[in-house]
Amino acid sequence: MLEADVEIDRREFTLRAAISVAPGERLALFGPSGAGKTTLLEVIAGLVAPRRARVVLAGRVLTATERPAAAVPAWQRRVGLLRQDPGLFPHLSVRANLAYSPTARASGDELAELAGTLGIGELLAAMPVRLSGGQAHRVALGRLLLAHCDALLLDEPYTGLDASLRRTLTALVVRLVTERNVPSVLVAHELADAQAFADRLAVLDHGSLLQVGAPDEVVLRPASRRIAELVGYLGFVPVRPGGRPAPGGAAPGGAAHDSMVAGIHPDRVVAGEAPHRGIVLTGAVTACRPAGAGWEADLEAGEVIVTCRLADRPPPAGGRLAVTALDPPCFGPDGTLLPADAGTRAQPWRAQVPS
Amino acid sequence: MIWLALLGPVITLLTHLSAHSIATSLTAPGALDPLVISLESGAVTLAVLLLLGTPLAWMLARGALPFPRLWEAGVLCSLLLPPLVIGLLLIFMVGPYTPIGELLGHLHLSATNTFLALVIAEVYESAPYYVLGAQAAFGAVDPRLEQQAELLGDRPRRVFRRVTLPLAAPGLAMALAVAWARAMGAFGAVIIIAYHPFGLPLQIYTTLQETGLASALPFALVLLVVALPLPLAAYIWSARARGRRRD
Repeated sequence: MLEADVEIDRREFTLRAAISVAPGERLALFGPSGAGKTTLLEVIAGLVAPRRARVVLAGRVLTATERPAAAVPAWQRRVGLLRQDPGLFPHLSVRANLAYSPTARASGDELAELAGTLGIGELLAAMPVRLSGGQAHRVALGRLLLAHCDALLLDEPYTGLDASLRRTLTALVVRLVTERNVPSVLVAHELADAQAFADRLAVLDHGSLLQVGAPDEVVLRPASRRIAELVGYLGFVPVRPGGRPAPGGAAPGGAAHDSMVAGIHPDRVVAGEAPHRGIVLTGAVTACRPAGAGWEADLEAGEVIVTCRLADRPPPAGGRLAVTALDPPCFGPDGTLLPADAGTRAQPWRAQVPS
Repeated sequence: MIWLALLGPVITLLTHLSAHSIATSLTAPGALDPLVISLESGAVTLAVLLLLGTPLAWMLARGALPFPRLWEAGVLCSLLLPPLVIGLLLIFMVGPYTPIGELLGHLHLSATNTFLALVIAEVYESAPYYVLGAQAAFGAVDPRLEQQAELLGDRPRRVFRRVTLPLAAPGLAMALAVAWARAMGAFGAVIIIAYHPFGLPLQIYTTLQETGLASALPFALVLLVVALPLPLAAYIWSARARGRRRD
């Protein structure tokens, strides 16, 4: 089990975060650049001194700022860190890199077997400079695994690699981490990378841990509007329950307009009106462009522009479009998530948009 | 053109020498004694630089010293001082009537006109070249590689031996080679503090004074032959080592 409770001053904010990762579990730290994700990993790895922290790995106290204080040096922590730069030693061959750790064996079955699993068996005599980006990451990963670390920290390791290679490497890491039963933490600023890797997703913003939960739970039920923005909700539509007028006889879109909003995720939208499945939005298309194998359209829903990704080609700019945002999370005036049972299923909410 | 102009003195030296004049000068009794003195003092100088200059260069490169700019300024200062001035100041620092000189006297040593004095002068003339070169070599090693080695379980000394030193080695070799060339050619400080026992530069100077330009030229060739191969070899090795990591 890896447990870290960290407080450290950064230039713009104080990072305060507590995480706990069980053996074999995979946690993804997701958040914008500069949120404090890498700092948290560096404190766990013993590379940065915190103001206040307690880091415990497999029962060993690695860092403790309160009595009895502890500060185990990085070389004794048995924590592996893989960064975006694989950090291969340029003066050593692939084999020597793999066997670098004092706990690794240079010529063992384990090295050969792992090299085979990682697909680098033919490269053992090569120098790092000859390797492609994907090969270098495989070697770096193999080196960490051969070091028999008690925890694996991955700091945006696949940034810069193409999508297919990222998928392959992520699947490989997931398999190996599960087999070795070590806790692992991935830092990612791409939600797809975090989801592909993690059992649990932790959202970090400006030094604060905003939400921790299953990846689908965090994405489908973000605990606040800020989290929704971070996980990709691009539009927030004012809503009121059941199409009833707002208190005080305000016109649709009046009082409720300033209080409750539904988060619209571009990927959680289907064409057509299906009020039993969520909020129906109608309006004029302001822009339309290809996106992957489908289309992306900007829909002017009242005063809000909502982005939707659709399988079929929507009408061109100026045309009218009706879409349904599936079971959208709704947020109260303070930006917190409203209970799910007050949402679309129990009492459909209606977007205050012109029809 | 600039390259040719820079090599001009060497070319001139070679064109003004004959086999006969070289043989006559170098076969005279005791003619090669200064060469031996220079080689010995140069070797001791390099050992001192390696032992004391390497840790200083590493600490400068890693910012491990308080007020790092002050330390760097100190090294630069010794680089910028004219060698003749260094020699004069050394007399006031380690001469026989100074506290250091008296201390050396108790140990039956002297830092003027002795082999020790020659080494001291050579160290002062060559140290800044080595320390600054070695600092650049260590500075070029990515600290993240050292961190990675530590995270893989290497204690700091082992990291230095297995990662820092091999990666800095080409730059260190170049710095050491330049320091060797400076030590071999040290003259300004040497003539003040260590006129005896004289090495090759002083031999060239005294031959020039006593018997003229022509008889000094063979010793100039000897100095070049002794001083240059190490830097050239270091340059070639360092270029190859860097090339292997780049290709």
